[in-house]
Amino acid sequence: MRFWFRRVNWPRNKGPTMPGFLKEFFNRNGIGMGAAILGLVLFWTIGLIILPQLSMLDFSFRPNLPPPEIGGPKDVYTLENYKYLIYGPEGGSQSYNAVDLRVFFRTLLAAVCVTVFNLILCYPIAYYLGQSKGNHIRIFAIMLIIPYWINEILRAFALRIIFGETGVLNTLFVGLGIWDTPFDFIRNDIALYAGLGYAYILLMIFPMYNVIESLDKNQIEAARDLGAPWWRIHWRVVIPYAKPGISSGCTMVFMLSAGALAAPQILGGPSSLWFTQLIYQQFNDNNDWPQGAAYAIVLLVTCILFVLAMMRLFKVNMGDIGK
Amino acid sequence: MNNSFLRVSIWVYLVIFFLYLLGPLVIMSVTAFNSSAFPRMTPWECLTFQWFGELFQDQRILNGIKNSLIIGAGTVVLSVAMGLAGALMLTQIWPKLRATYYTIIIAPILIPGVVLGISTLVFWDRINRMLGLGADSFLSNGIFLTVIGQSTFIASYCMLVLVARLQRYDVALTEAALDLGATHAQAFRKILLPFMRPAIASAAVLAFLASFENYNTTTFTFGEYPTLTIELAQKVRYGITPAISALAFIIVALTVFFALLNEAKLKRQELVAAARKSATVEELAGKVKLPSLFAGNMAAVLLVVFAVATITVVGTATAYNPGQCIANVKEQKRLEAEQRIQELRKQREEQRKKREAEEAEQGGAQQSTPKPSNNSGFGNVFAPNTLGGDAEEESSDTETPPSNNGGFGGVFDPNSLQTDQ
Repeated sequence: MRFWFRRVNWPRNKGPTMPGFLKEFFNRNGIGMGAAILGLVLFWTIGLIILPQLSMLDFSFRPNLPPPEIGGPKDVYTLENYKYLIYGPEGGSQSYNAVDLRVFFRTLLAAVCVTVFNLILCYPIAYYLGQSKGNHIRIFAIMLIIPYWINEILRAFALRIIFGETGVLNTLFVGLGIWDTPFDFIRNDIALYAGLGYAYILLMIFPMYNVIESLDKNQIEAARDLGAPWWRIHWRVVIPYAKPGISSGCTMVFMLSAGALAAPQILGGPSSLWFTQLIYQQFNDNNDWPQGAAYAIVLLVTCILFVLAMMRLFKVNMGDIGK
Repeated sequence: MNNSFLRVSIWVYLVIFFLYLLGPLVIMSVTAFNSSAFPRMTPWECLTFQWFGELFQDQRILNGIKNSLIIGAGTVVLSVAMGLAGALMLTQIWPKLRATYYTIIIAPILIPGVVLGISTLVFWDRINRMLGLGADSFLSNGIFLTVIGQSTFIASYCMLVLVARLQRYDVALTEAALDLGATHAQAFRKILLPFMRPAIASAAVLAFLASFENYNTTTFTFGEYPTLTIELAQKVRYGITPAISALAFIIVALTVFFALLNEAKLKRQELVAAARKSATVEELAGKVKLPSLFAGNMAAVLLVVFAVATITVVGTATAYNPGQCIANVKEQKRLEAEQRIQELRKQREEQRKKREAEEAEQGGAQQSTPKPSNNSGFGNVFAPNTLGGDAEEESSDTETPPSNNGGFGGVFDPNSLQTDQ
């Protein structure tokens, strides 16, 4: 900060049109370094983040044309791709695109369920890790991180081995005589939900752990001394304090599970699709890029709106997310 | 009393939690050593190492590893550079722009990977067309697109790691260097970079791992250069074999090894620092008496145990030959199948007798009705059991019990589809 206000003798001939903060920036970092930093940041923010998203948005409003006709007279803006999601193919027998819409809402609902499940599962762990000290905590931390380093596909594969028809669980339960016939976990989507929850445990625990770790133990002790039962301590002291961590964990898990592709492909039943799988099909099987882009936009916008609505509902600040 | 109950329940919960977290990995690793052609733990057939051999002969997997390494290296360079630039920018950006800027560079973490992949593909395809380049130009190259697509969000991770350390940096150091006559580039290279080195190292490791295991973005951008993850996904979707378990085992083992190594190193540094602190002046003048390597260092002990176990396993693998055991299991399976066929035959025989008896009765009672299909020109061809029996005899190696008498040997059974996938 000290640097910020330092008086500088900027040569006049460098152009008075340059905004003050840019001038300051180059003065502070030198022309070469400043240009390198600015160049990389601009490439990243504009070239990799903003323009591709805008380009995809633009693309989603265009008809699916063969390459020679792109830019030709037929290349006009249209709402066709979005209409398709809602009304289905033109002249179809149904008035709504029931299949795709059902997949869409099911995906969102399932993502919410996975998030809630993860929150309930991880909160006690995060609280325990955050509030206790000792060597075993470090071992626990390693044990938490190791699964996260294993490939996403392999983690899904591991659950496939467990939940398969002749998998470990079925063999166990049939062997014990609890069930007569193998239970089809995959067809009932239990494998899918377990897999999605499994994939994002760490993303839920870490933000919560970071916040809870900084909670002053005296606050808990004070509450206890004043006679609060343990659930009230959590409800009135720990959870309000950990709210930023909880919300960023939930946001990440929700966004990632709504946008997951590997787990549904490997663990999903044959009859149940995830919305990302529809996008994938549009791109790879139907070769209809604009349609796929439109679906992707719908998914992205809906997820963002949903997260913002939830944050409004639980009174969380945007600035707390991602910290 | 209430307290101890709480404590016990916490430990029970921890055990269940870590079983959920680590159990699948352990089970998957174990299946790599079972000779059963389908990855499973039970029934245990034979201890075998053949799946590892199979894995290393798989050209697609090896090619995928090569592509993954190339893409990983590119992603590490690009995303650490962008992450560092982004972090530097964040510490000095105009305060009014700060919130917007932060939202933009943090957004890729939350944008679904599928969306990132699609937008990268669409955008660079358009640039490619605008520049009038052909379909085989550099801009539509799978490696380039994948590196770009992955870096978009991996740079955000790097930025978060780097900014955490950058916040502890004292700008007065750079200022001093500049006052002493260093150029900006020198100050950056000799002052800031050495300070940031640990954070850059962890950002690089994080970036490489994230790139190596990424699927959602890569699946849209890989073009003709499938990474290991893409190859794995293809394999897992269209028929799973224990060779994948073998690969998983190797990855798990490597991960555990490096995690332990890192932990042992950290602990060692801590112990050394503690020893230095408590050392007397004379000891410091001479040589600090360091604690012995393994004292109080749990991770180091585990590391050694782990290394010994690995060597033992590899040693056994070269000497061990499960051929006899596999032959035994095969023989046993054959016997079982034969027995099943015998039973089936017997059953069929009984049914036939029963039917004949019934027919005889009916025939006695009603002479005018035509005889049932058994005596028709088709013989017994259309009796469902015949076909089912034949199919069973042909495929006596399959493990499904002959519960299915359909002529298609269970092809249309939804469950069999499930396992084939």
